[in-house]
Amino acid sequence: MSAASGVFLLVLTVGAGFFALNVQRLVRYLRLGVPENRTDHPLQRTKNVLVIGIAQKKIFRDPVAGPMHALIFWGFMVLTAGTVEILVQGLFPSFSYRLLLPDVLYQGYSASQDVFALLVIGAVAFALYRRLFLHPARLEGDDLEHKDAIIILSMIMGLMVTLILATAYLLAADPAAFGPEKIVSRPLAGFFASRMTAESALAAYRVFWWAHVLLILTFLNYLPYSKHLHVASSLINVYFSNTSGPGQKGVMRYMDLEADVEKFGADDVEDLTWKNLLDGYSCTECGRCTAACPANITGKPLSPRKIIVNTRQRLMEKAPVVTGDRMEFLQPALLHGEGAAAGATTVEEVLGHRLLDTYITEEELWACTSCRACVTECPVSIDQLDVINQLRRNLVLTESRFPEELQPVFQSLERNGSPWAFQAADRGAWAAGLDIPTMAEMQARGQRPDILFWVGCMGSFDDRAKKITAAFARIMQACGINFAILGQEESCHGDPARRMGNEYLYQVLAKGVIETLDRYEVQTIVTHCPHCFHQIGNEFPQLGGNYEVVHHSTYIERLLQEERVPLRTEEGRKLTVAYHDSCYLGRYNDVYDAPRESMKRALPVITLVEPERSKDRGLCCGAGGGRMFMEERTGKRINTERTEELLATGADAIAVACPFCMTMMTDGVKANGADVPVYDIAEVVAGQLRA
Amino acid sequence: MANVLVFAETRGGDVRKVALEAVTAARALADATGGGEVHAILAGPAGVASRAQQLGQYGADLVLVAESPALAQFARESLAATVADRTKAGAYRAVVLGFSAQGRDLGPRVAARLDAPIASDVTEISAAGDRMTVKHPGYANKVMLTLSITGSPVVLSVRPSAFTAKESPRNARVETLQLSPAGGATVTVTQVVEGAKGRPDLGEASIIVSGGRGLKAAENFKLIEDLADAFGNAAVGATRAVTDDGWRPHSDQIGQTGRQVSPQLYVAVGISGAIQHLAGMRTSKTIVAINKDKEAPIFKVADYGIVGDVLEVVPALTAAVKDARKGH
Amino acid sequence: MNFHVGAPAVKIAVCIKRTPDSESRFRIAASGAAIDEAGLKFDMDDFAGYAVEAALQLNEKAGGGETVVYALGPDSVQESLRKAMSMGADRAVQLKTDTVPADGIAVAKALAAELKSGGFDLILFGKHAFDSSAGVVGTAVAELLGLPGVTAASQLSVAGGKGAARRELEGAAELVEFPLPAIVTIDEGVARPRYPSLKGIMAAKKKPLESKPAQLGPVRVTVQRAELPPERPAGRILGEGAAAVPELVRLLQTEAKVL
Repeated sequence: MSAASGVFLLVLTVGAGFFALNVQRLVRYLRLGVPENRTDHPLQRTKNVLVIGIAQKKIFRDPVAGPMHALIFWGFMVLTAGTVEILVQGLFPSFSYRLLLPDVLYQGYSASQDVFALLVIGAVAFALYRRLFLHPARLEGDDLEHKDAIIILSMIMGLMVTLILATAYLLAADPAAFGPEKIVSRPLAGFFASRMTAESALAAYRVFWWAHVLLILTFLNYLPYSKHLHVASSLINVYFSNTSGPGQKGVMRYMDLEADVEKFGADDVEDLTWKNLLDGYSCTECGRCTAACPANITGKPLSPRKIIVNTRQRLMEKAPVVTGDRMEFLQPALLHGEGAAAGATTVEEVLGHRLLDTYITEEELWACTSCRACVTECPVSIDQLDVINQLRRNLVLTESRFPEELQPVFQSLERNGSPWAFQAADRGAWAAGLDIPTMAEMQARGQRPDILFWVGCMGSFDDRAKKITAAFARIMQACGINFAILGQEESCHGDPARRMGNEYLYQVLAKGVIETLDRYEVQTIVTHCPHCFHQIGNEFPQLGGNYEVVHHSTYIERLLQEERVPLRTEEGRKLTVAYHDSCYLGRYNDVYDAPRESMKRALPVITLVEPERSKDRGLCCGAGGGRMFMEERTGKRINTERTEELLATGADAIAVACPFCMTMMTDGVKANGADVPVYDIAEVVAGQLRA
Repeated sequence: MANVLVFAETRGGDVRKVALEAVTAARALADATGGGEVHAILAGPAGVASRAQQLGQYGADLVLVAESPALAQFARESLAATVADRTKAGAYRAVVLGFSAQGRDLGPRVAARLDAPIASDVTEISAAGDRMTVKHPGYANKVMLTLSITGSPVVLSVRPSAFTAKESPRNARVETLQLSPAGGATVTVTQVVEGAKGRPDLGEASIIVSGGRGLKAAENFKLIEDLADAFGNAAVGATRAVTDDGWRPHSDQIGQTGRQVSPQLYVAVGISGAIQHLAGMRTSKTIVAINKDKEAPIFKVADYGIVGDVLEVVPALTAAVKDARKGH
Repeated sequence: MNFHVGAPAVKIAVCIKRTPDSESRFRIAASGAAIDEAGLKFDMDDFAGYAVEAALQLNEKAGGGETVVYALGPDSVQESLRKAMSMGADRAVQLKTDTVPADGIAVAKALAAELKSGGFDLILFGKHAFDSSAGVVGTAVAELLGLPGVTAASQLSVAGGKGAARRELEGAAELVEFPLPAIVTIDEGVARPRYPSLKGIMAAKKKPLESKPAQLGPVRVTVQRAELPPERPAGRILGEGAAAVPELVRLLQTEAKVL
């Protein structure tokens, strides 16, 4: 081994060894989290890595930053192959992929190194320009974050420049070192060769080769102290992310309430799972989640990015103390947070802090509408909502802290089986004179309906929603569906309580409903409330309730498709309608087309227009996550913001498929001083029924 | 034939309306049980004796006057002892008092001292032999209970306004009554805070006038204030939309997330009646709704509704209410 | 939290009642003398809830003391006693009877007999219970035990062996002081009852709940009949615009009798 190789071996060993120690440290931190099995569905996980990771599917949701990032990412993938070759060459100077690959492949590879280095330079230059001159709102972090980003971008730039220069100088010294495929560095080499001797060029090559190698090792060892750790952790994070499909992806974690524990939910990093903590390593603070957050957009203190960044900040503050770690000496950029001053200098201070209150405030947590926009946007499949939900559970179950207006809601759920203090006896009042049997009545007659129509609390008690209920019932009657309702035996399934963190109350209510449903041997349920649809269909299985639940939009579309709905033959009103997507229907269950299709099939002359944010980018109405029952005193009202978007389409009417959205949009239209009606899709269809 | 004792409540040296109602109830009870006498205890600071004939006007045969500087404040233990001692001495069939702030304190005290049965907040009284039967609205007025009471004497507190004070004039005898000592540790009144000149609290007001977005602008809330003033001691409420828009403070909000009220009269102006609002006022005794949309859900819960522009209807109502109260 | 360091620890008893939810639609039982309890949700009475909360806050401010809850009635009251303990009360006592009589004095005697030797600094009650709506028991117990008693307090504080309270009168309010031990019945406004955390619910399962027979006095007041008041007549739209105002005022005077 030559002296140069020996030196290189030493440098490589130190660099790689230090990195390995850091990886070990970060893994040790992760182990502070609650264990959770994330190794099931290996095929789905691999597919996620390929589609979301390698193919950058979610990155492309941003049409500007998307291609830029993808270019840097793919460039990295390609150039990493070259990095390996360079590192091996450091040890064995005569090594080259040429020895292993057929000529054509090798030339392709060799060309790719040159071309991608240039492309990455372009992309990084654009990234720097964006950061330094354009300042997109979602990238606005603190000084530390800003410095971190500039350092990383500069390093990447340096890597690319040194790579190209090394290649060019080598070519200048020996034009036969590579073939004609080096289309970027060869012209440069020609330029250099005309100005220096081969010996000087070779010396320059060595300088830049070493510079490149040292930069690689510096870059590698900078990562564990930087938000750009995501370079190393993102693909791993995507692999371990939630694999559930539509419906299941938004299901809240099951909680064993009989467990003999001091704390329910999470108030610090040890109560979160290791995956929640890995989310922290994987966040590069791109801010796409926060840019999509309805609470943040309208001026509330919640930022999903802050939730994740501050979780990581707390981990970086606490873990070294708990694990007796000695390697956090660089005051890592990972210790920075958003809006929370860590600043702990003593062990007592560190242990006196906790994630809740010190880093994430109650006010932020209660601002969440659980709309899943953040989770949907995250390019590396971070689950911000999971952390929010776990913290909310602790607030309610362990500490009994929540906005005071929620107490009557909880109390009413306990006493009346509805978030509002209405009597169960009045649940079936809307059906008076409509000839709709209850399950009890059918059972008394020895009959069983094919379908249970689950009306829901809004559908039973809210005057506006009762009209939706009646419209949907009319459609089913017109189609001759054999259905029944539970009437006064219906009770809230507890979803609002669950979303507000009151898992105990939720389980009490849900188990009661399951008992009722099982007593009547119910199999198929239809409902016009997306929250009932999601809860009964997707979350009841956790508690042993298994039913086929169909949302009325899907059900009506099916009936129309089967041509079972007796529609009027005349044309009907030529309405221009803007449909507002419900979060629990859309982002939770991927039902986007059924409500739109139902309206089009029933009223072919309809024109559907889309607001600026629609389908899986749709903006929440502001009622989810229990927000319906809370005051909204900070910033602009979410429903006003959303209604403005819908009105901006110039539509004659707004359509919804959720009674909560109905309330919020109706209020929003009034607040905007507009005179545009809001219909449920069932009302649009029922309006076309033959008399 | 049995006599009935009344505790005639005074305040600031005046006989309260509920005291006259108690005398009326006692008179009726005495008459129905064979024409016994009605004796009334009139207790207060010096000068209260001058009110004795007022009680005679409503049917008291004997007025027992206890004047003492100690009675400038509500001397609960001493008053209870005085009423109990007199009851024991006079062998009364019943002790009647009003179910007022004072009466709800004194009634149980007198009953406990006499070891006598008590019925609170009664709206009807009848007696037959050794059994007394009274009506009392329980379950927050949702269930009318008929109570049967054995034993004598019986302590009865009557619901304010349930018995209409009726004149039954007689020349009442007046005697002086010695105040009994409290005996033991007592509660001392340190201050009486007169009601603020402003409006009553939403939770206590018997009339609430409430405004919603139908008022169109914050400055139109003046109409709500004016109507509340016309009613006299009425409180002003608002919907969530209105408080969220900053037209009114959040403490005025009535509804699921605000205050839950059940006054005698609730006037909803320009309120459509969303579920959030109904949850806070549905249990009001009488509901009046004024709204331009005749389909508004508020009309489903209202006893009386007027469809129309609130800016036109409310000033007219304010004027009419003022007139009606003037003639009262 | 406003923490008064050094405030003396007090031992507090709270007597609670279990009543049906006030939003329920009531029906009359077959006997005609009671409500039909089928399908009704029962819970600690609202005013009792204020009293429990007031006691807990007094203990918390003092940084010590004890809160003991009492309820008279059948075994179902244990659920309400557990609820009070899940809010934070230390232990509970059930005075067992098959039914709770309508005679407030009979109930007061049972409670007085039990509370006499308890060594309490303060005994709290709700101002009244939703079902009987009578408000007799608390103040009667004060007389039976010869203790100072405040009826329907909307504010309450304790310091240096003395208590201070505010009572709402018609159109005014009375501020009072009294030496301890004393009895106070609690009105709305003193404290909004806390919502029990799951942690509290779990802890309450392990707290002591004693059950003993109640020594009721003779029952001289009984419910002979229970009836539902006449149904509220359906609302009517009186007319349109200002023209309908005179009719409205007439009805408010003659029918609703609120003017």
